[in-house]
Amino acid sequence: MSQYKIIFTGPVGAGKTTAIHSISDVPPVKTDALASDMTKSRKAATTVAMDYGVMNLSDGEKIHLYGTPGQERFDFMWDILINGGIGLILLLDNTRADPFKDMKFFMDSFGDFISKTSVAIGVTQMDLSTKPTIADYHTQFQASGLKPPIFAVDARVRNDVSLLVQSLLYSLDPGLAE
Amino acid sequence: MSEHNKRPLKVALHGMDVRSCKTMMMFLQGPCKGAATVVNENDADVDIFDGDAPVSKNLLSQHLQTERQKPTIVLSLQDFTHDGALQVRKPVKTDDMLSVLREAKILLAEFAKKKAQKQAAPAMATAVAGEAEEEEETGVEPQPLKTYVLDQSERKKTSKHQTAMRFDEKGFQAYIGSLPDIDVNDPAQFAQASYDPKDYFQGYIQSAFMVCRAKGQILQLQSGWKPIMIFPHTHEVWLDADDPQLRAFAGIKLNPNSASKMSISPANAQTMGLGGSLDKFQSMDAFLWKLACWTSKGRYPHMIDYTQPVYLKNWPNFTRLLITPHALRIAALMMQGPRTLTNIAQVLNIKPQYVFVFASAAHSLGLMGQVKREADNLVQPPEVKPSKGQGLLSRIMNKLRG
Repeated sequence: MSQYKIIFTGPVGAGKTTAIHSISDVPPVKTDALASDMTKSRKAATTVAMDYGVMNLSDGEKIHLYGTPGQERFDFMWDILINGGIGLILLLDNTRADPFKDMKFFMDSFGDFISKTSVAIGVTQMDLSTKPTIADYHTQFQASGLKPPIFAVDARVRNDVSLLVQSLLYSLDPGLAE
Repeated sequence: MSEHNKRPLKVALHGMDVRSCKTMMMFLQGPCKGAATVVNENDADVDIFDGDAPVSKNLLSQHLQTERQKPTIVLSLQDFTHDGALQVRKPVKTDDMLSVLREAKILLAEFAKKKAQKQAAPAMATAVAGEAEEEEETGVEPQPLKTYVLDQSERKKTSKHQTAMRFDEKGFQAYIGSLPDIDVNDPAQFAQASYDPKDYFQGYIQSAFMVCRAKGQILQLQSGWKPIMIFPHTHEVWLDADDPQLRAFAGIKLNPNSASKMSISPANAQTMGLGGSLDKFQSMDAFLWKLACWTSKGRYPHMIDYTQPVYLKNWPNFTRLLITPHALRIAALMMQGPRTLTNIAQVLNIKPQYVFVFASAAHSLGLMGQVKREADNLVQPPEVKPSKGQGLLSRIMNKLRG
């Protein structure tokens, strides 16, 4: 049976683990550890390998949900993770110092994968930091010609994460029936 | 109301970045049920330090060297022991925090008792002052502690942002209502299936939003119905009406008499006494989007020529909007390039009314427009080919939609 994956990526603390937890049918496998570097100022524990969850489909097929470690020193794993991926969910933390820089970093890092599949962007923590706005994020893409879905997301809310993933799937094929 | 909520401890947060501070504020307010509230350093009963980050470690170290007038709580990953300082291990758990806050309350009473004793012994107080002067003379100037104060307006925002409400075809029809005199899905009646937002409350709201944004001033729209306050800086509106009431009003075509009752004037949120009804705030975009849906009832705005292609500027922020049937599919298709409204309905094999209502909502937010470039009219929209994995994607979609 084929291995189908949806990849969740983004900087430390953006909510990848939580988002996977929101839509996974099984308790996600977390590989968190106590943070020991600059990550520690943002969260006590961080993902050092990857997060993993599963969506069981009606025909017995499984969709694997993989969260990349947020720390850049683990980026060697990203190429391995994206192999067989359906698309990319990029989560950005709006309270970070420069979320646009984060966005550019991840869009560049996964550029090849995105060009072959699609990407949907969820902006988290917008209740804590209202700027930049969703419109500001869209403006950042004007020059590139890319027009990905960008939603405000609370990673704890299943409906938010579900809509984000649905937008990714419709981007891949708007003909999918409701 | 719990004992905590009656007399919350006033705490100051030190050496934490903005996000950590706000997380802590929400934690104290939410899981800890208001056992403590974050205030300025000078007003605080208790000091809370992050014991791990290098900067905060320095602040803590300096703080512990001084004579403390109030309890100190240290949040740290490792064991932390210092005479008189209380510790909460990270990741911070609610029970641990509540327990330490209770201890802090006891300590606070002891500090108060000591202070009273000191005041009763002036000689001793003089000695303390002398010590302080001595410290100043040695040139050890205490570094100002970074303190964060709870932003009252942010605290009140919790109920404003609701996740999207989504409708399937059946539920939507019942929710939005229908028009008795026209079948918007009949191609022969497409030309008549439009409406002018200016004839409805929607038009007045759109004008008021424009004025408000241009002036950058809080304004109140009087409509002869219920007043609406518009806050341009936070992009919010305040209205004392629920959705069914607004929906009913949205569908009424306003006559010149009703229109003459419309007026817009500067307002002051504080004197309006909105403090007790903060759940009535909504985002301007979400408000206008749903108002346009209810006004449209399946029609398109008359500014759009349904025979000419339209474009979608970008994806609407669907997680915070009313989601009409097939809205995500329509958006995804339109992001591929301009199309006519009827072509969208045809390609997606859906009733035109769902495209029209989407067009009304998207147009009201300025997300949709008629193409003006010659090339957009010349080039045929790309054909939509089913993806190779359509079966799999459909199954994932079904799973997500439950």
